Amino acid sequence: MTAAREAPVSEWVTIPDMYRDPFPIFQRMRAEAAVHWVPSVNRYMVVTYDECHTAEMDGETFSADETGSLMKRSMGHSMLRKDDPEHAPERAAWQPPLRPGAIKTVWREVFEANTERYLDRLADAGDAADLIWDFAAPLAAENLRSILGFVNATQEDLQRWSQTMIDATGNYADDPVVWEKGRRSSEEVDRAIDELLPYYAAHPDASLISGLVNMPGGERLPIEAIRANLKMTIGGGLNEPRDVIGTAAWALLENPDQLGRVLQDPALWPVAFDEAIRWIAPIGMYPRETTRDVELGGVRLPAGSRLGIVVLSANRDERVFEYAERFDIAREKKPHLAFGGGAHYCAGAWVAKSSVAQVALPRLFERFEGLEIDGDRETSAGGWVFRGMLKLPVTWQRERKGAAA
Amino acid sequence: MKITYGLGDRGTREVDVEAGTSIMRAAITNSVPGIVGECGGQAMCATCHVYVRDEHLDALPPISDDEEEMLDCTVAPRDERRSRLGCQLAAGVAFDEIVVDVPSAQV
Ligand code: HEM
Ligand code: FES
Repeated sequence: MTAAREAPVSEWVTIPDMYRDPFPIFQRMRAEAAVHWVPSVNRYMVVTYDECHTAEMDGETFSADETGSLMKRSMGHSMLRKDDPEHAPERAAWQPPLRPGAIKTVWREVFEANTERYLDRLADAGDAADLIWDFAAPLAAENLRSILGFVNATQEDLQRWSQTMIDATGNYADDPVVWEKGRRSSEEVDRAIDELLPYYAAHPDASLISGLVNMPGGERLPIEAIRANLKMTIGGGLNEPRDVIGTAAWALLENPDQLGRVLQDPALWPVAFDEAIRWIAPIGMYPRETTRDVELGGVRLPAGSRLGIVVLSANRDERVFEYAERFDIAREKKPHLAFGGGAHYCAGAWVAKSSVAQVALPRLFERFEGLEIDGDRETSAGGWVFRGMLKLPVTWQRERKGAAA
Repeated sequence: MKITYGLGDRGTREVDVEAGTSIMRAAITNSVPGIVGECGGQAMCATCHVYVRDEHLDALPPISDDEEEMLDCTVAPRDERRSRLGCQLAAGVAFDEIVVDVPSAQV
C-alpha cells in the first residue's frame, strides 16, 4: 500500500466546460486521481467507479445529511438528506406504490394512457415537433402527477414546481430571483398537500399521497416530512425519466443498426434503457459529507469534507466498462451507478423502468415510422449535475395510429 | 457464524460473520463476486439473489410479501424452492451457518 496523499487541486475544471461536455474532463480526471479538490465547485469530486460505489454503500462514513444543504433550504429536510435510522421510516412509507406489484396492477395502464396522449401532442406539433418538450417532459410530469396523486394540479404545475425548486437547490450564486421562484412553488405545493390530506382520508386510492394519509396502523409521518419528501420526489422523479427518454431516443436514432435490432426484438428495450442511463446518467452528481477522517482511492479526506459523487463519470470508468464512451446495447451487462446505491438507491427505479422502457420508448417508435432527427434544426445536450437533451427536433415518414402492441 | 458461497467453476468462498450480518452485506464487505445488492438491503432491487442449498431450507424464516415480489424480478431464473434474497437472511436470525449458490447473473 502506498501512503495516502492530498487530493490534487484541479483548478482547470470549470462549471461552464462541464455543462457543455463533461466527458473529456472526467476522463482526464479519472486518469489523474480517484478524488480531486475542485475549487470552482467548492468540493471534492469522486470520479472513479470503485470509489463512488464505496461511498454510496457506506452511509456511516459518507453521510447524506450535508451541512448547509441548499436542498434543505429549498424543499425542507427529506429522506434524501437523512441517514439511517432516521431515513428508514420515510423510505418505508414511500415504497409501496412504487414497487413492481403496484406498477403491474395499477400504474402500467395509466402509463399507457398518458403515453398515447402525449404521442398525440407530438404528432400535432408537426414540423415544429421536439421530442423533449412535446413528449418526454409532459409525459414524465403526467406520470408523476398520477402516481403521487396530485388531482388538484396539472402536469404543467408539476414541471414548474420541479424546475424552480431544483434551480433553488442549485442556487450557489445566491440569486434572489431564483430563491423567490423556488419559495413560491414550495408554498403552492404546501397548499396543494393541505387540500389533499382530507380528500384522500375520504377517498382512498392507489396513489402515494393516499398511502401516506391511510398508513396501516393509523400512524402518519410528521407533516414536515410529508411536505419535504413530496417536494424532493417532484424534483427527483420528473426530469430523470424525461432525460432518459431523450437520451435513449437520441442514441438509437444516431445508431440505426442498434435501433434496428431493438425494433426486431422488443425484449431489448430494457437493455437500451439501461445502457442509456449507463452512458449518460440523468443525475450526474450527488452530495455526501465525510463523518470522520478517511482515505478514499488513495486520497486523504478530513472529517467534514464535502464530496460530489460523480456517477456520470463512474459510469464511464474504463476500468469497468470497455469502450465506455460508446453507446452499445450489446456490451457485457454490468451494474452501473445511475440509480445510486445503498440506502438511497432510487425509490422510483421500477417506475422509471416500466414507464420508459416498457411503454414510452416502444410506443414512440411503433407510432412514428421512419422517426429521424431533423437535421435542419439544432439538436443539443447539456448539464453535468443533471444531464439531458435540451433540444431534440424530430420528423417522421408515417404515423401508425392505435398500433398498440 | 459462517456463510459459504458456491461460485460455480470458481469453487467456494467461506466468510466468518457476526450476528446480524446478512448474506448480501457479507458478500459486499468481503468482495464475494456475483452479489450486487444495489438497494443496500431494502428488498427493492433483486440484485442479491441466491440459491440456498437444500439442507438449510427448512430452518429459514418464511418469505415476506416484499421478498416474494422481488423474487419474481430476478435476472437469473427463480428456483421455486431455493431462491431467496441475500439481504433478507441474516446470521444469528435466519441461520448460524449456511451454504448458498450465487446465480450466473444479477443484472
Ligand atoms: C431514470 C430515471 C431516474 C434516475 C436515473 C434516478 C436516479 C436517482 C438517484 C441517483 C438517486 C439517489 C440520489 C442520492 O443518493 O443522493 C435517486 C433517489 C430517489 N429517487 Fe430516483 N431516479 C429516477 C427516477 C425516479 C422516479 C420516476 C421517481 C419517483 C416516482 C424517483 C424517486 C426517487 C426518490 C424518492 C429517491 C430518494 C430515495 C432515498 O433517499 O431513499 N426517481 N434517484
Ligand atoms: S439488496 Fe436489494 S433486494 Fe436485496
